[in-house]
Amino acid sequence: MKKKWGFGTFLLIVVAALAGCGPAQEATKETLTAQPVATPEPEKTAPSKIRVAFVTNNASDFWTIARRGTEKAQGELGCDVVFRIPSTGTAQEQQQIVEDLITAGVSGIAISPKDPANQTEMLNAAAGKINLITQDSDAPESNRACYIGTNNYDAGRAAGELIKQALPNGGKIMLFVGTLDAQNAQDRKKGIEDTLPGGNIEILGTRTDETDRTKAIANVQDTLVAQPDVACLVGLWSYNGPAILNGVRDSGKLGQVKIVCFDEEEETLQGVKDRHIFGTIVQQPYEFGYQSVKLLSELAASNRSRVPENKQIYIPVKTIVPSNVDEFWADLKKMKGQA
Amino acid sequence: MRKALGLAGLLLCLVAVTCAWECLRNEQGQINFLTVQNLRNLLTFVGLFGVLSVGQALVIITGGIDLSVGSVVALVGMVTAIGLRNHGLSPLVVLPGSLAMAALIGTWHGLLITKARIQPFVVTLCGLFFYRGITRLITQDTTQGFGTEFPRLRGLGNGYLADLIPVPFIILLILSAVVAAYLHFMAQGRHLFALGANEEAARFSGIRTDRLKILAYVLCSVITAVGGLMMAFKVNSLGPTDFGSFYELYAIAGAVLGGCSLRGGSGNVLGVIIGATLIVVLKNVVNILQIPSQLEYVVIGGAILLGVFADEVFTRRTHGVQ
Repeated sequence: MKKKWGFGTFLLIVVAALAGCGPAQEATKETLTAQPVATPEPEKTAPSKIRVAFVTNNASDFWTIARRGTEKAQGELGCDVVFRIPSTGTAQEQQQIVEDLITAGVSGIAISPKDPANQTEMLNAAAGKINLITQDSDAPESNRACYIGTNNYDAGRAAGELIKQALPNGGKIMLFVGTLDAQNAQDRKKGIEDTLPGGNIEILGTRTDETDRTKAIANVQDTLVAQPDVACLVGLWSYNGPAILNGVRDSGKLGQVKIVCFDEEEETLQGVKDRHIFGTIVQQPYEFGYQSVKLLSELAASNRSRVPENKQIYIPVKTIVPSNVDEFWADLKKMKGQA
Repeated sequence: MRKALGLAGLLLCLVAVTCAWECLRNEQGQINFLTVQNLRNLLTFVGLFGVLSVGQALVIITGGIDLSVGSVVALVGMVTAIGLRNHGLSPLVVLPGSLAMAALIGTWHGLLITKARIQPFVVTLCGLFFYRGITRLITQDTTQGFGTEFPRLRGLGNGYLADLIPVPFIILLILSAVVAAYLHFMAQGRHLFALGANEEAARFSGIRTDRLKILAYVLCSVITAVGGLMMAFKVNSLGPTDFGSFYELYAIAGAVLGGCSLRGGSGNVLGVIIGATLIVVLKNVVNILQIPSQLEYVVIGGAILLGVFADEVFTRRTHGVQ
């Protein structure tokens, strides 16, 4: 008897929920088909305000800085920015977010696609309905209007130059990264590889840690044991910098082994300041955020003047070494709201 | 005990093969695997991951499982970092506070499992998501760490006794001695095995099974928190989304390889420590022998399977079971 009651209640709830959903779903469909691109339903009271969205690929400090950039653009241009962070960082979740945003009536989306090659279909579907640009990670095969971000190959070349400076007499180097299947990892690696030939610098290999930071440290320590003559360790992803520093310090080899890395984690910057890290290549996520929102609001007004022929806007990287680390760090703290 | 011995044999084999391989391949016949530096590194990670496996073993012995380990590690690490660094609280408040939080988490798991009768897998799976979410919420997705502050406290994770024996390893030894004494020599510990083997029989023979089960989950969470603290001090730069993720699987792998049956009722602490050591050594060997990173999981997965399979065959033979 008890069971029957339970099932009855369940049925009732389902029916009620379905009844409740029905009209809402129809309404959504209507707005989707009836609304032309870039004119989301304005609220009755306010004049039509452009609403754009910024979708990241995961959660990190990097995106906190990008968010500050979007906020600056929001303040300057008076548009609304929806900032979405997929919690699991999967392509599937990004798809859901994009679909929800379109339903919610944004005029444009700037997304960092997690898996560009396999997301083309999703990106094209979105690009058919709203203004879609990619940022941070590009999807050149898709119909995105433009890409804003770092050229990771160039970033790799910048790191290659740093390595050359660090090892004027040559030597063996080892690369460390989370996973090699990420496009930015491959581009950075290629950039480094293309800078070095002709010299006397030998790349021993690449060690991956699947974004497990404990393992990132173990990889560094194991390399120092297995290859005692390694001269420079290169970290391709942001946490690899602190991990290398940690492993080298623990092995008592600070100063003997040069470190070159990417991005601006606090420990990395401290390491540069203490001259334990030779230098780090940083991107400018603040500009990603700022430029993306700016471009999206221009596109919403059908202004395509800033989109270049090749549909790629590159934000240059910066090389941070002991001489400019203080200035950079102070700026960064201001952006993160820590100053 | 015999299982632990068999496993130790397996470990020795692995070490011997590694050394032989290195000896043959290096021109000077130098064996990097046995350098002091490498052994120091190894013992550190054995300490860090061994603690998690010992905690996990306690619930596996009751026939349960704790999948929330990785997220609890992350939560404890973050709460500690935020408390110490951002709020400037004293370690004497923050460390006991973190452990108390873990005890509460364990109690909550235990209550849901015994009183609400939800399966341990489900309860702790939800925990895995829940605590990870809380971690991200309280950190606002920003990386936390201790910077260059608290050097002495951080010694708990990255310090060495006499510049040789890693502190995490010493903590593992002390903790395991206590847990082993409890499990193998105290009546209540023996009851834990009885409960795991046959809960109903244990209850009918007068064991307060619910209370005991809750205790197992509390101990698991608290021990995990100890591991989480050491990990946080060791790693220093803690990412809210990735710190500790998948560590539950390493903890379970170590415990199972060490002779704990997921059906409950069997396992011993020495075996678990050797099991955890074996996994850490496998990871190390991949790097030392310069096996491509891509093959690492193949090596680890294959080795665990081999170990468990050999154990099963061996047990059947000696017991004459078909």
